[in-house]
Amino acid sequence: MKRLLFVTLMTASFAVPASADSIVEPASERFAAEDATETPHFRMHVVPLMGKLGCNGRACHGSFQGQGGFRLSLFGYDFEMDHKGLTEADPENDKEARVDHEYPEESLMLEKPTLLIPHRGGKRMDVGSWQHRLLLNWIKGGAKNVGEDDAEFVRLDVTPSEILFDAAGKKQPLRVIAVWSDGTREDVTPLCRFQSNDDQVAEIDEAGMVTAKNSGDTHVVVFYDAGVVPIPVIRPHTELAGANYPKVVTPTMVDQLVVDKLRKLGMVPSDLSEDAEFLRRVSLDLTGSLPSPAEVVSFLQDRSADKRSRKIDELLERPTYAAWWTTRLCDITGNNDDSLANVTPVRSTGSQEWYDWLYKRVASNVPYDEIVAGIVTATSRNTDEEFTDYVKAMTEIYKEDGEGEYADRQFMPHYWARRTVRLPEERAISFAYTFMGIRIQCAQCHKHPFDRWTQDDFEQFSGFFGRERFTYGINPKSRDKYNELLETFKEETEELNGGQVRRFLSEKLQEGKMAPVQELYAVAPRKPSSKKGSQDKGPTAKLLGGAVVALNDHDDARLPLMDWLRSRNNDLFAKAFVNRVWATYFNVGIVEPPDDLSLANPPSNGALLDYLAESFIEHDYDMKWLHREIANSRTYQASWRPNETNRLDQRNFSHSIPRRLPAEVAYDAVQQATASDSETDRMLAEIKGRAIAIPGANGRNRSTRGPQYALTIFGRSTRESNCDCDRSTEASLLQTVFLQNDQDVFSMIDRKNVSWISQVEKECTEEAAPVAEAKPEPLPPRAKNQFKRLRGRLEKAKKQKNEELAKTIQKQIAAKRKQFAEIAEKKKAERKEANAVEEPESSVAQLVDRTYLRTLSRLPDEQERERSIAYLESSETPVDGARGLLWALLNTKEFIVNH
Amino acid sequence: MAISRTCDGMKRRDFLKVGVLGGAGISLSGYLQLAQAGEISRRAKAESAIFINLNGGPSHMDTFDLKPESSDEYRGEFSPIRTNVPGVEFCEHLPKLAQCADKFAILRGVSHTLGAHRLGTEYVNTGNRPLPALEYPGYGAVMTKERPGPRDLPPFVAIPNSSQKPGFLGVKYAPLNTGSTPSPGQKYSVRGIALANGLTINEIEKRQNLLQDLDKTFRGFESDNQLLDGLDRFGQQARSIITSRRAREAFDVSKESPEFAKMFGKTAFGQSCLLASRLVESGVRFASISLGGWDTHRNNWDSLKDRQLPTLDEGLAALFTGLELKGLLESTAIFVTGEFGRTPKINTERGGRDHYPRCMFMLMAGGGVRGGQVIGQSNDTATLPESEAITPDDAAASFYYNLGIDHTKEYHSTTGRPITIVRDGKVMPKLFA
Repeated sequence: MKRLLFVTLMTASFAVPASADSIVEPASERFAAEDATETPHFRMHVVPLMGKLGCNGRACHGSFQGQGGFRLSLFGYDFEMDHKGLTEADPENDKEARVDHEYPEESLMLEKPTLLIPHRGGKRMDVGSWQHRLLLNWIKGGAKNVGEDDAEFVRLDVTPSEILFDAAGKKQPLRVIAVWSDGTREDVTPLCRFQSNDDQVAEIDEAGMVTAKNSGDTHVVVFYDAGVVPIPVIRPHTELAGANYPKVVTPTMVDQLVVDKLRKLGMVPSDLSEDAEFLRRVSLDLTGSLPSPAEVVSFLQDRSADKRSRKIDELLERPTYAAWWTTRLCDITGNNDDSLANVTPVRSTGSQEWYDWLYKRVASNVPYDEIVAGIVTATSRNTDEEFTDYVKAMTEIYKEDGEGEYADRQFMPHYWARRTVRLPEERAISFAYTFMGIRIQCAQCHKHPFDRWTQDDFEQFSGFFGRERFTYGINPKSRDKYNELLETFKEETEELNGGQVRRFLSEKLQEGKMAPVQELYAVAPRKPSSKKGSQDKGPTAKLLGGAVVALNDHDDARLPLMDWLRSRNNDLFAKAFVNRVWATYFNVGIVEPPDDLSLANPPSNGALLDYLAESFIEHDYDMKWLHREIANSRTYQASWRPNETNRLDQRNFSHSIPRRLPAEVAYDAVQQATASDSETDRMLAEIKGRAIAIPGANGRNRSTRGPQYALTIFGRSTRESNCDCDRSTEASLLQTVFLQNDQDVFSMIDRKNVSWISQVEKECTEEAAPVAEAKPEPLPPRAKNQFKRLRGRLEKAKKQKNEELAKTIQKQIAAKRKQFAEIAEKKKAERKEANAVEEPESSVAQLVDRTYLRTLSRLPDEQERERSIAYLESSETPVDGARGLLWALLNTKEFIVNH
Repeated sequence: MAISRTCDGMKRRDFLKVGVLGGAGISLSGYLQLAQAGEISRRAKAESAIFINLNGGPSHMDTFDLKPESSDEYRGEFSPIRTNVPGVEFCEHLPKLAQCADKFAILRGVSHTLGAHRLGTEYVNTGNRPLPALEYPGYGAVMTKERPGPRDLPPFVAIPNSSQKPGFLGVKYAPLNTGSTPSPGQKYSVRGIALANGLTINEIEKRQNLLQDLDKTFRGFESDNQLLDGLDRFGQQARSIITSRRAREAFDVSKESPEFAKMFGKTAFGQSCLLASRLVESGVRFASISLGGWDTHRNNWDSLKDRQLPTLDEGLAALFTGLELKGLLESTAIFVTGEFGRTPKINTERGGRDHYPRCMFMLMAGGGVRGGQVIGQSNDTATLPESEAITPDDAAASFYYNLGIDHTKEYHSTTGRPITIVRDGKVMPKLFA
């Protein structure tokens, strides 16, 4: 299969400075003189100028209803429509043409924005200004549309490529050169739109003049035609920027790249996190679980230098790692149970199959691109599997004691089978969101305002996703076999309606019968591959920013799509994933929000994102490699405590940012913290009963029982709208009310047998037991023998009727008794004394320590210990005290955030 | 602090400046004109709201929009009765509501096109036709955001749960679901608010003090981090709610006088209405009630006559009357609606009526709403609006108006898209005239 892949060059390039004489000077100068005669170009000048004047904005003529009977394409990329809107009248709707060929000066498009006649949009320009003259000359020149052979836009060159300010109020002009396919290079600065991504840091005016404001870093963005170019602007936070920067340890590549950026900002990374802080953080991030109390203690005691990286390796082998990252993959792939009704052979099994299929692959570390290929190119059947074999395989999966597991199937077809992605547009949007981290839905209705995508790009891309390419249903190729199987149930199904038949067949399948099954299948092209020289190439679709693909050349349109997705020319595939992983570790992505990799939303650290994405590909999309690479970095292991230089940093990774635990992790953390020691160990060794093992999700919010209530209020992903924001990590009132006073939490604290409180209760009664029974001290063996002998002699004396001797012996026995009793008493007292010194006090302190370990995964400091002991001692029983302390620690901010 | 950009190139901060020049329906200036016009602004002053969702879609033709003159195919089994408003008639099985028809407005000929339960429900609970890629916030969530209530009360309570989700506004604006309904005369409490496990206020205070002393790791850093700040504020608020006698008593319907409570009857719905009135009296901003059972594809008339209508009649009439007795009707906006009406043409095969969104009824009362009037009209067979349709969007705009919320205000979805609270609705001035 030969295909040409290319990426249109629309990014800025600064490598070749153009020689000054070949650059067309700006329109503002060319049209300044009254006698300017040049006729401007519709695409190159008129449309950009109208964008600049605000004509095609959403609130004005860009509105889908138009404004005042005149409509332009939103953000202006539909030249046909705009030209028609300007030049044609529509008498039916009482609409005049905006252009007057006979009296150009009296054109509405000139008289309105100059307020010569009333204009609701106010004054946009003056009569006699260069803008006015440019538009006038266009009308005078015949108000021509774009010609078919006109040059194509190639790229924007913006200088400077980066701006470093050293003080507020400093200014720097931008110069923008548009490059066209015929070699034309024009200074289009006055025709560009500009925007600052953070006007607290830098402002940019209409002329492209950038002004420094507060310290920090952001981008100013230049828009012209399809070109979107962000220019970084930095004003350091401290005097430490550049040469003054202190020596900082950067053990890994990640650290070097992070510090490269921090150096420009004059920010120094925070200190290394403490061991306990690190362990808690990395356990929550990698496995969605708190470390067990014993694990914390042994980690703190471990003196070896490589204990952190060994811990990371160990965590990656746990089932909890696979469960938590499967949950995250279910989020981005949209495993939503509402959308899976009637698209699986048996009802309500879809989410679990989806989860299990991913779990198996995450656990065995199947490369990310292979997992994705198993979804993107999925069919319900394995490659080359016959229909009857497929049905047989399904019976093995669904019948009781069957031998099949859905996770062992080659593909995961449910992603495409979802009811929410039936239309090609919906599929295109979902695909771009899930696998490329971009939002092309904007381009469904208008030119993407922050990216290069046009409506045309969107439409052509959607061509891959039509139901005539792949769909869920009865595969026409095996319809006969399907009907044959259906026929075997003829009598039973005759009277039933569609839904009832479906239910009936699924029951049969579960009984192990060969019941016909619907499937996700690819539709092979109707015509054979187009012949050379043939004009009609059949249906085509265009890859985003890539080549046009003749769909008849492929048995399955998704194969070239997948090839393109993982090809080196498409950097968004790897970037989207590494950025999402990074975002879960650092609160924000390198691109933030993580699912918006648009041109106008550039990474805060481009070199870092490039490095991670490229290395991820080099390591064959090894997800564990990625987790290791990040978690082993000094950057990841930095303390959350900011220093003087980096306190304001939220986006450059100079310190760890406290984040609220994700819903499932929060719920599991409460379960874990309140569980007995043995139950805690169990929860780390198997995922049964864990919230991170719940497969599906949905947006209904009614459930009030079980974990669902908590998961809803803590913002578990609803997986319904192609947005990472379907998951929420904000704080809310209902969350704190839940933790402070909900019956679910109280029930967890006091759950029978497996709660930590019940463990403490048991320990207390066991400790108390010997004291309560107050058994006499057992006699030492020596004493036993003495008594035995004495008693023997006594018997003998009695037999001999030697009463005197008997009396003497009895006295001796009594004396011995007394002697041993005294010894025993003394020993008992000694033991009691020993206990009084150590045990009672230490058990209270121990209880405090153990409560801290199971909640905050650390030991208390002196002050905390004292305060907690005081609370325990003022409680009626140690159990009550422990319960109160546990409650308080569950409600600290430190518990519910990862830090 | 980065600025989130919108789908169409405007920065968040530009919004207030730009306003709503381009929107369809009533523009900001129009809204202000309406408010300044005097005759309505003085009346729109509700401080709180009760939303009643009649889940399943109640038949309009057998309740508030009877067509006794229509043919057998349409008419149904019920006869109309007079109400205390001359010229307005209801179904014979709504006698109590008929006697307080002067307290609420009836909207007839409300019309939309979404005949599936879920979509229709989303529509009437948000005032916006649902979109696949965006979840609109329900009324209660918007109220919570725009007009947060007293600190020691949950702002939005759903009895027992609600179809209103916070949508893109986020979990902060989700309702507190009671999960149950009160039983007549019994003590009542809900999760999170009740003092659970026999804890006393004393014990809670002791624990809270311990928490106060131990929760110190992030002290001093709250101002640098939105999350820590939020956790801190919500923690304090949770404490005030849990230790608030007012909050606990707001839920405890057994504290109502027996004569007053009696009016509401013994049904779960009646008790929910009693609870809602009590919550509103305490200062809760938004209470929602769900009453299901309206999906009468079969046995339409028997279900209505024996179960649905008596329940609705007793509870809702008591709510209107009770709020008025307490002097709360003027400060409480009430909105009653199902997701759609039911087919005017009878499904004779099953003895019922099926889903029908093109013609339905809604009820509005309280705040500035003038009761005892009918707005809109359906045609002779109640199949379509007679003239211009009232849309769920218009009803929503009016409901917000009644609550002093500008429905043309713009929010930003989490993806940065500018979203008007109600996209296409117009306030119905007549409702408040």
